[in-house]
Amino acid sequence: MLIRIAGGEVIDPVNGLAGKGDVWIRDGVIVEKPASGRADKTYDVSGCVVMAGAIDIHSHIGGGNVNTARLLLPEQHAAHLKRPLHTPLSNAGWSTFNTGVLYAKMGFTTVVEPAMSPSNALHTHMELADIPIIDKATLAILGNDDFLLSMIRDNASQAMIDDYVAWTVSTSRALGVKVINAGASAAFKENIRSFSFDDVVPSYGVSSRTIVESLQGSVSRLGVPHPLHVHANNLGIAGNATTAAETIRAADGRPLHLAHLQFYGYGTEGKRGFSSGAARLAELVNANTDVTIDVGQVMFGQTVTISSDVIRQYSGMRTASPKKSVLIDGDGNGGGIVPYRYRPDYYGSLQWAVGLELFLLVNDPWRVFFTTDHPNGAPFTAYPELFELLMRRDAREAKMAELDQSALELSTLASIAREYTLEEVAVMTRGAPAKLLGLDDRGHLGPGAIADIAVYRKGQDVRKMFGDAALVFKNGDLVVQDGVVTHYRWGKALRLNPPSDKGIVKRMQAYHEDRYGLSLDWFTFPESAIAREDPFAEVSCRN
Amino acid sequence: MVAWIGSRTVPLSAAIEQVAKLLENARCPVFSLNSDIHGYRSLIALAERVGATYDHVNGRDLVHEVALHTDVGGFFATATEVRRRADLIVVVGDVPVIHHDLLMSLAASKPDLSGGRRRRWFQVNGRVEPTNEGRLPPRLKAVELGSPDFPFHVVLGILRAALAGRKTSSALANADALRSDMANARFPVFMFSRLSDVSSLAMLQGMLADINKTQRATALFLPADDDAWGLVLASTWMTGFPPRTGFSTGSPVYDPWLCDIDRMIEEKEADLHVWVSEGDEAPPTKRGPPKIALVRSEKPVAGAAVTIRIGKAGVDHDGVVYSSRIGTLKSVVAEVPSDLPSVSAIVGQIQHALQGEGVTPC
Repeated sequence: MLIRIAGGEVIDPVNGLAGKGDVWIRDGVIVEKPASGRADKTYDVSGCVVMAGAIDIHSHIGGGNVNTARLLLPEQHAAHLKRPLHTPLSNAGWSTFNTGVLYAKMGFTTVVEPAMSPSNALHTHMELADIPIIDKATLAILGNDDFLLSMIRDNASQAMIDDYVAWTVSTSRALGVKVINAGASAAFKENIRSFSFDDVVPSYGVSSRTIVESLQGSVSRLGVPHPLHVHANNLGIAGNATTAAETIRAADGRPLHLAHLQFYGYGTEGKRGFSSGAARLAELVNANTDVTIDVGQVMFGQTVTISSDVIRQYSGMRTASPKKSVLIDGDGNGGGIVPYRYRPDYYGSLQWAVGLELFLLVNDPWRVFFTTDHPNGAPFTAYPELFELLMRRDAREAKMAELDQSALELSTLASIAREYTLEEVAVMTRGAPAKLLGLDDRGHLGPGAIADIAVYRKGQDVRKMFGDAALVFKNGDLVVQDGVVTHYRWGKALRLNPPSDKGIVKRMQAYHEDRYGLSLDWFTFPESAIAREDPFAEVSCRN
Repeated sequence: MVAWIGSRTVPLSAAIEQVAKLLENARCPVFSLNSDIHGYRSLIALAERVGATYDHVNGRDLVHEVALHTDVGGFFATATEVRRRADLIVVVGDVPVIHHDLLMSLAASKPDLSGGRRRRWFQVNGRVEPTNEGRLPPRLKAVELGSPDFPFHVVLGILRAALAGRKTSSALANADALRSDMANARFPVFMFSRLSDVSSLAMLQGMLADINKTQRATALFLPADDDAWGLVLASTWMTGFPPRTGFSTGSPVYDPWLCDIDRMIEEKEADLHVWVSEGDEAPPTKRGPPKIALVRSEKPVAGAAVTIRIGKAGVDHDGVVYSSRIGTLKSVVAEVPSDLPSVSAIVGQIQHALQGEGVTPC
């Protein structure tokens, strides 16, 4: 069927489009205007903005730790809004099903779960397979696992480390590699309570810096499109802007993605010793063109923090609200689940301001990504409000008036006049994420792209515009009309399959049998285990 | 022969139709479940469609384990990490036989990430004697600790105080030995299963919070039934809630009392009981509402309106189950592949037979 989306304001920075035009779809793919000029179905979207489907590069939407958070906090799910009736699991709360529905209605069509423990890959993919409509992907966590740390300690060759990284990405069906507070979880198991970039994991004698550099090298050599995704040391600690700066400098001209930089944007000025270091960090990011960041914006209200940064989550247990939390010592990283309420007090106000400063002071929208680190800074459902804060200075000023002024005085936010344009929003949420993840088939509206398309009613109310898309197409299927899901389908999990030497399988078999007393089969799974038709789609490595 | 209406053998399609009819006419159906993850996913979707309440067939044990997570939280470790790192294991209470392979595997292995320290074992006992079924395997030598005079939460309270160096009105045998070993341990682990009261679980986790102020310690939670924990995981991601959950109001409601299936049957709230088990449990025989049984039995279940014979994941067909050996889901391959249908296949046919054009998530 030939579909024409007619008369909208097409914003597609990848293809240099910004003006009134049509988008044509055939068999789930965007095509050139056909010679006949006749469509089987036409949607008149005059007065609307037409963009590619949005891509979220960092949102904790599934897996063992996310599910533990649901289990710990049934009272929070009960508070969620009801979904439309007469749909599968239509009334469930913060479920996998609801995750797909809520993302789709905002025009998001691809979401990356950024913290999959390889040992928990089957569980993660089972959950992701139950998220409807959108495509998903995962990043495999490495950098606290005994196998890697032992190899680095024992001066294993680059090729051996590359094989291990490739095997892990391939068997866990991941789209990239993430390192979370490299070495710190392993050190915490040996009762180390703080861990910086040059600290050393006791039993291995390797530093966080060495682990990051080692993984960065492997990711690059294997041709993994997404640069190493780094959750740095000292998250949430006053003065940690220095840690982030050190990590950025260590990139040394090689691609590196720094996750949720807001949580590292803190200086030590002011009588509370907690100030904004965002301006300094933004300057560094601007100067290091191989570095990309996502923000992890804080918004106010109740949420739950979910992280495999166990050392950080342990210290956060003191401020849990409500007073219950979970800390898991698992293989490699483990995880910590700590509920938290962001209040508009001094600390909350400053965190909110730091995030916005980063968004507004990093000049290049191709290198700053739109995240709240869902749910750590805020649930992803806060996105429409965040778009408004970025696009309208008056909205920021109105919100600032409600917040702690002494905190805001220690940030530069009040002096920033920048307002994001729709073109910049399209770059940050479409073109740039696709480029960063190596997804050439999406993030734009050019011929050959999959027909993931979001249509928004243009208006003054930015929140409403981005909260309830007028139309959303996923692979050419119309899935949302006027902010309501009208058609359900199952997306795929995007994955890489980098080749590795066959010897690594033998090594992994021997390792698992020796160290765990279990065969490797216990830790791997066939694609058929997901029990959906074609649950995965393979993305090519760069080389 | 895989299906019966009453005691009469019927084609599977006739049994499916009868099940759909009974579900359509029920006002308050309840589901008792024991399956693999795919079976649970399909059954939860069916429960939503027909407004049913569901729980595991061993829901009485499971409700306490769920409460630990919903009410208390705490410190946990995977069995794989415990095997490699724990230089001190304190078994709290008894451990079901299904986990004895794990215990023996731990007893036979040396932790390779403990800095060369050997593994020491203690077992904490309280007033309730361990059942024969749950006694530690004789080959596992553990220092016994505790008191037959006090219930578990009191024993754990005394132990918590003793480990913190506080005075207690009663002493526990071998508490000093544990305190001494604890002080030198690098990665002590408290292993528990079937602790049936939240106060004991809360006391244990409070003790871990105390210990973690100065050194590392954690707990290995072994569900009394791995398949039951699989239901907890699937239910939680699909609905946001663990069992006991029901869709009787249209929305999922998690309420351990309201959605207690035994209570609902006893108080005659339930008017249809769907019993699905890939295990060996027999459905309740006492009088109750009409029953639909999906079981492995070669005979119809006495008193059931409909019985359908099913296969078992990992035996008759491939599947996915929770395994406490690795602390996560595991893919299982059919050991003796057979034509017996999986739970999810049967539920798929029931969904199809139910009237309406519903979209099913599984």
